[in-house]
Amino acid sequence: MTVDGARVAARIRPRELLSDFLRGEAGATSVHIGCGQGLCGACTVAVDGVPVRACLMLAAQADDCVVQTVASQNALEGFTGAGLTPLQSSFREHHALQCGFCTPGLLVSTAIFLAENPRPARREILEHLNGHLCRCTGYANIVAAIEAVAQ
Amino acid sequence: MTPAAFRYARPDSVAAAVALLGPRAQLLAGGQSFVPLLVRRAARPDLVIDINRIPGLAEIDILPGAIRMGALVRLEQARCSAIVRAELAVLAAALGWVANPVIRRRGTVVGNLVMHAPGAELPAVAMALGAEYLIRTPDGKTETIAAHDPVPAGTMVTHVLWPRRPGAGGFYEVSRREGHVGVVSAAVSCTGDAVHHDIRVGLSGICKTALACNAVAGVLKAAWPAVPAARALAPALRADIAERPLHGDLQAGANYRLAVAPEVIRRAAQSMPAGRG
Repeated sequence: MTVDGARVAARIRPRELLSDFLRGEAGATSVHIGCGQGLCGACTVAVDGVPVRACLMLAAQADDCVVQTVASQNALEGFTGAGLTPLQSSFREHHALQCGFCTPGLLVSTAIFLAENPRPARREILEHLNGHLCRCTGYANIVAAIEAVAQ
Repeated sequence: MTPAAFRYARPDSVAAAVALLGPRAQLLAGGQSFVPLLVRRAARPDLVIDINRIPGLAEIDILPGAIRMGALVRLEQARCSAIVRAELAVLAAALGWVANPVIRRRGTVVGNLVMHAPGAELPAVAMALGAEYLIRTPDGKTETIAAHDPVPAGTMVTHVLWPRRPGAGGFYEVSRREGHVGVVSAAVSCTGDAVHHDIRVGLSGICKTALACNAVAGVLKAAWPAVPAARALAPALRADIAERPLHGDLQAGANYRLAVAPEVIRRAAQSMPAGRG
């Protein structure tokens, strides 16, 4: 498979999860494993452009796929400048992260969310965040950060 | 967490997938319910058969009497489908309650149905509408079974058939938290006008498997377009449950489920857009 633009080839066991493969074989340690059962959203990555819980997919299922983690955030947001992407800057400005554990998954899935729905209603942002647990911020700052980018 | 060891197969046709089925084999579609079972080792198959690359199973088709969905139609794909919105309002309403947008992108309609967790959303819709499965047998035949019948061993559900139900649909559930599987889910579908109308009700989370509530539907029909109070629905619900054993688990006990169900049905009926029933 291709991970953040680099071709990764490995022989794996069928039971290896995509989340473990990305961290272990591909070195993509931004993929955070929170709950390991699809509830927290921290391990969300893009597989062929679609947001996926890496802990709920077998690595074998992503054979020949293009996987993007937060290391591909520029591409996910279509951002060609230097430094932080607009979403990353907004998260920083609005204090939308504290410990940062949930942030990589949030940034990946929010980039795809905004690409598909550039002017979301507040209700749609809240529904989008339904799949991501954050234990630090209380979500209000995350909503503010996303709203600022969406405007 | 790591699942127990298994072999993995990725067949490229339904026939090849069915040929691999056996007592210790499991089909894998979206995996949003099944992979958690694997990592908790609640499921320990010898062989996982990944059907995701079988062509021709991701379509939503209009047949004369039914809407046909392949086993790889994703929940979000169905929710956004113009066909579903026009012909299956109650299913469109229910799909918005299933999990969250990322899970819905990967999880499948057929998977939600066949996993059939107590309280799950789509089994309630399937019971309300009388959905059917198309199954492929080992000798290559396609057969039709009711969605509430057990799927015979050694066969694969290739499609679900939803009877076309233009009109209004309502859905409501109580759950421990938003986006979590329902404790009790109710689906209400209404076709026709204020004089001649047909109402169907499906309920999930009361018994181990979902229930068609014909007596409750009769009470709703008599009062339509008004929606009776929950206590007026309770005796009919008792009649629909009849002798079936009630379901209770750590999410909620049987008494709570029974107490809350009439109100869940009432809210599902109330949520239907006015003037479309």
